[in-house]
Amino acid sequence: MWLLDVLRYRWRVLTRPRAHEQEVAEELEFHVGLEAMQREHAAHGELSAREARFAARRRFGNVTYYQEEARRVSGLAVVDSILQDIRFALRSFRRTPMFTAVTVLTLAVGIGANTAIFSAVDALLLRPLPFREPERLMSVSLSRPAIGERGANDEVAWSYPKFEVFRAAQTIFSDLTLWTGSQFTVRATAEAVRVAGEFTDSHYMPTLGVSPMLGRLFTPAEDTDRRGALVAILSNELWGTLFNADSNVLGRRVDVDGTLYTVIGVMPAGFRGLSGNSTIWMPIPTLNLAWKVMDPWNHNYFAVARLAPGVSSRGAPAIVRDLGARVDAVYPNPIGGTPAGSGDNRRLAVGTTHWSAVARPLDATRVDGRVRQTLLTLLAAVGLVLLIACANVANLFLVRASARHREIAVRLAIGASRARLVRQLLVESTLLSMFGGAASLAIAWVGVKALSSLQPATALRAQNVAGLGIINFSTIQLDFNAFAFAAVIALATGIVFGLVPAIQSTRPSLTAGLKDDAGGRSFAIRGLTSRNVLTVIEIALAVVLLAGSGLMVRSLAHMLGVYPGFDASHVLTLRVNRAPAWSRDSISRFYDVAIERLNRIPGVVDASIADCPPLGGWCSGAPIIFPDRAPVPPGQEHGVGVHWITPNWPSVIHVPLLRGRFFTKSDVVGRQKVALVSEAAARAFWPGEDPIGKPINVGEPDTMYVAGVIGDVRYGSMDQPLRPEVYISYYQRPFSYRMMLFIRTRGDPAAIAGAVRRALREVAPGFPVYDVRSLDTHLRDFTSYERVSSVLLTLFAALALGLATMGTYGVISFAVAQRTREIGVRVALGATSGDVVRLVVGQGVALGAVGAVFGLSAAIVVTRALRSMFFGVEPTDPMTLVSIVGLLALALLAASWIPALRASRIPPVQALRGD
Amino acid sequence: MAGAPEAPKSELLKGTLDMLILQTLTVHPLHGYAIAQQIEALSGDVLRVEQGSLYPALERLQKKGWLTSKWGESPTGRRARYYTITAVGRRQLGDEISSFDTVLVAINRVLRRT
Repeated sequence: MWLLDVLRYRWRVLTRPRAHEQEVAEELEFHVGLEAMQREHAAHGELSAREARFAARRRFGNVTYYQEEARRVSGLAVVDSILQDIRFALRSFRRTPMFTAVTVLTLAVGIGANTAIFSAVDALLLRPLPFREPERLMSVSLSRPAIGERGANDEVAWSYPKFEVFRAAQTIFSDLTLWTGSQFTVRATAEAVRVAGEFTDSHYMPTLGVSPMLGRLFTPAEDTDRRGALVAILSNELWGTLFNADSNVLGRRVDVDGTLYTVIGVMPAGFRGLSGNSTIWMPIPTLNLAWKVMDPWNHNYFAVARLAPGVSSRGAPAIVRDLGARVDAVYPNPIGGTPAGSGDNRRLAVGTTHWSAVARPLDATRVDGRVRQTLLTLLAAVGLVLLIACANVANLFLVRASARHREIAVRLAIGASRARLVRQLLVESTLLSMFGGAASLAIAWVGVKALSSLQPATALRAQNVAGLGIINFSTIQLDFNAFAFAAVIALATGIVFGLVPAIQSTRPSLTAGLKDDAGGRSFAIRGLTSRNVLTVIEIALAVVLLAGSGLMVRSLAHMLGVYPGFDASHVLTLRVNRAPAWSRDSISRFYDVAIERLNRIPGVVDASIADCPPLGGWCSGAPIIFPDRAPVPPGQEHGVGVHWITPNWPSVIHVPLLRGRFFTKSDVVGRQKVALVSEAAARAFWPGEDPIGKPINVGEPDTMYVAGVIGDVRYGSMDQPLRPEVYISYYQRPFSYRMMLFIRTRGDPAAIAGAVRRALREVAPGFPVYDVRSLDTHLRDFTSYERVSSVLLTLFAALALGLATMGTYGVISFAVAQRTREIGVRVALGATSGDVVRLVVGQGVALGAVGAVFGLSAAIVVTRALRSMFFGVEPTDPMTLVSIVGLLALALLAASWIPALRASRIPPVQALRGD
Repeated sequence: MAGAPEAPKSELLKGTLDMLILQTLTVHPLHGYAIAQQIEALSGDVLRVEQGSLYPALERLQKKGWLTSKWGESPTGRRARYYTITAVGRRQLGDEISSFDTVLVAINRVLRRT
C-alpha cells in the first residue's frame, strides 16, 4: 500500500510533469488568494484588494522560490533537465546528420553482429536443455583403454548386457535409460515416409521428465517381453503426418520397416528425443537376433541418467568409475593381459586393458568441442569488432567535442557544472547507442536467419561431430535473451564511448577555451594523443582479426584443394531404402533392373550403386586378415573400410583403375570372390609387391582375391590420413541394408531428379527415396563448417579493417584541419605539395606501423591458441602475415591520401589568415 | 535525484515542520492553506514560518509515501488539493513525537530545568 502510494506519486511526476507543475502553481495561487481574501475580510474595508494581496504574498514568502523548491523536491527538476538534454541532443544530431549516421551505422553493425553471434552462443551453449531439471541429468558412457592400434576413447556407447550390469549395481541415479537413434520407413495407410526414430526403454521419458500427450509410456514389462504386441510412441509431428492428428490413434497399427507396431502414445509437440529429430520411439528389440542386442560387445546405445536426490554431479564420476570396474569384471576385454611387445607394438604393452565408465553432465556433451571453440572464437571476433566500433565512435566524439570546445568552454564559464555537461554528453552518446542498438536488430535478424539455416545434419554430422542432436543451429533465434543482450551492449557502449570524451572535453580550462585560437590548439594536442592511441588500438585489433580470418581462409583453401578422389561434377546421388522382405536373389535382380531403367532416362550417362557416400562418414569397417601370412593376435589387425559397389561405380564417379581390373558382371555369387583395394591399401599392405591375386579376409570367413587397385577416395574428413579401403561387388555379396545411387548426367543433375524418382517408383514401388542431391552439394556440405567459419571471420575482419580505416581517416583529416596554419606556413616557406602529402601520409604510416607491430604480436599469440581450427597452415604462415600487412598498408594509405591531397591544396594565404 | 539538502527554510527545528503537518492531518484531510492556518492557530501564533515553505514539505512527504493528495472542492467552491495522512505517515508521526519528546527531555535536563 505504502509502496503503491510512493510509486503512484513518482509515476505521475515522471509521466505528466507539466500537469504536476501546473497543479502546484494552482495550489499556491489558491493559497495566496484565500489568504488575501481573509485579510481583506478581516480588515473590514480598510485594506484594498491590492494591498490585501501584497500582504498575503509577504506572509507566504517568495512564491517563485517555493514553487521551484516544490519542483525540486518532487524530482521534477531532474526529469526536466534530462528531457532538456535529450531535446538538445536530438537537435544537435539534426545539425550534424553525417556524424549521426556514421555513428549509428557503426554501432548498428557492431551490436548487430554481436547479437547474432550471441544468439548462436545462447542457443548452442547456454540455453538449458529442454527437460525437467536438466542440470541433474548425466551422460554415462564407457571408457575403453588403448588396445592395438585403436586409441583410448572415453565416449564409447554401451552394449545392452553391460548396461544391465551397470543398472543393477548402481544406486546414485534415481533413473537411467538407454537409447539409440535409427532411420525407419514408416507407413500407416498412405505413402511410406522415411523418418528418424529412437529405440529405448521404459525409463527414457521418465528420466528426461516428459509425459505423453495421449496414451501411455512403455511399461517395464515391454522392455524385455516381446511375445506380446510390439508397441510404439509417436511424436506429435508423425501423429499429424500418419494419422492426421486423429485422437483415436491409440491402438492403431503402424508399419515400421515391415513390422507392425501398435501405437500406445503420442508425445507433446516439440519433443524430439535426445537425438533431436526422433519422431517414433520403440522398445529396444532385445529378442531380435539380427540386431545382436544381447551381444555384450555390440556397443550401440547411449545412456542418460538422472541423479538421485542428494547426489552431487561432482561426486558422481568417481562412483561411476567404480561401477565401470564392476562391468569390466563381468565382461573383461576378450584380448586380456598385455599384448606381447615387439617392435612398433612395444608401446602397447604399457597400460591396461580394463574398461571403465565415465559420467559427465549431459549439458557438457551438448555440442562438440569444435563447435564450442568455433563459436567462442567467433564471439571473441565480434567482440573485437565491437571494440573497434566503439573506439571509432569515441574518436568521432572526440573530434566533435573539440569542434565544440568553444561552446563547452562558454557553458562552463557561465556557470554550468562539469557534472551537468558530462551528463549532457553522456545523454548524447547513450541516445546514439540506443539508436544504434535499435538499428542493430535488423542486422542481427539477418544474421540469425542465416545462422539458423545452416544444415547441421549434413554439415556437421558428416564429419562425425559429436554433441546432442537436440542442440542444433535451427534452434538459433532472436529471442528475449538476444534483445536483452543487444540492449545491455548498447547501453554499455553508450556509456563507455561517451564517458571518456565527455570527461576529457569538459576538463576545466576556462580561459584556454575562450581564447580564440591558442586554446583551441592546446586542447587539440591533448585530444589528438588519445585519438592516436585509439587509432593504434583499432589497427592492432583489426590486424588480429585479419590474421585469424586469413589463416581460416587459407585452411579452407587447403581443404578445398584436397582432391577427394573422384569427379563430383554432374553426378546425382540419392538414397533408396531396401524392401525388408526381399531375398538375396531378388536384390541382385533389383540392381540390374534399376540401373537399366535409370540408364534409359534421357540425360543419364550411367547409373551405379554403392553402399556408402564418400566423405559421408558411417561407412562400414572391418579388420583385414591375410590368410597367406602369420596370424596377428586378435584385436591388433589393421582396420579397413569395406564398401559394396556395382561394377560400374568407379567409372561413374571417375575413380581411376591403377592395376588389374574393375569388377565385371561375371563376378557373381558362386564364382571366385574378388575384391578391389585402394591405392592406400596397396601401399600399406603390399609395399613393393603386386597386390593382384593376393588373398584377403574382410569380416567374413570367405577369402577374396585382389583383382584390381583403384584410386584413393576420401571417406573421412580432409585432414585425416587416407584409410585403406576394400571394395566388394554387390553381385558377389548381395547387401541391401543401404544403397546410394550415383548417376552421372550430361547436364545439370538436379534437372533429372524428378525423372529419376519416377523411374524408381516404377521399378521399386513403395521404396522411400530420399537425400536427393548432387555429389557437388555433398562435397560442399562437407566443407560447410570451415566455409561458414571462414566467411564469418572474413566478414568480421573486413568490418574491422573498414572501421579502422575510417578511424584513421578521421584522425588524419582532423589533424590536417588542426594543422592548416602550420601547413600554410610550410607552403609559404617553400614546401612543395609533395612535401605536404609526405608529411600527412607519414602520420598515417606511423599510426599503421605501430598498430601493425602490436597487432601482429597479439595475432601470433591468439592464433597459436586456435591452432586446432586450422588445417594445413601454421599460425605464423608468412604468406598470410605478409598479405595482411599489405592489405593494411593499402587501406591506411588510402585513408591518409585523401586528407593529404586536401592539405596539399591549401592556399597558403587562406591558411595563414586562419579562421 | 540526490543533491542539495531539502531542509525547509524556516526557524523551526529541523524536521519539526513535517511533524506538525502530519499532526494537523490526523483528524481529517485538509488543503494546504488550512494546514498553515491550523499550525498557526494551534501554536498560538508562536510558530510562524513563511507559509510557502509548507509546499515543498508537502511534496517531500508525498514522495516518502506519508501523505497522499486528492483534488476536491473547497468550501468557497474552488478546486483545492486535499492531503490525507497514510498509515505509514501515522506510524512515522508516532515515532517522531516520541523521539522529539526524548530530545526535549534531554535538552531540559541539560538546562537543569527539571
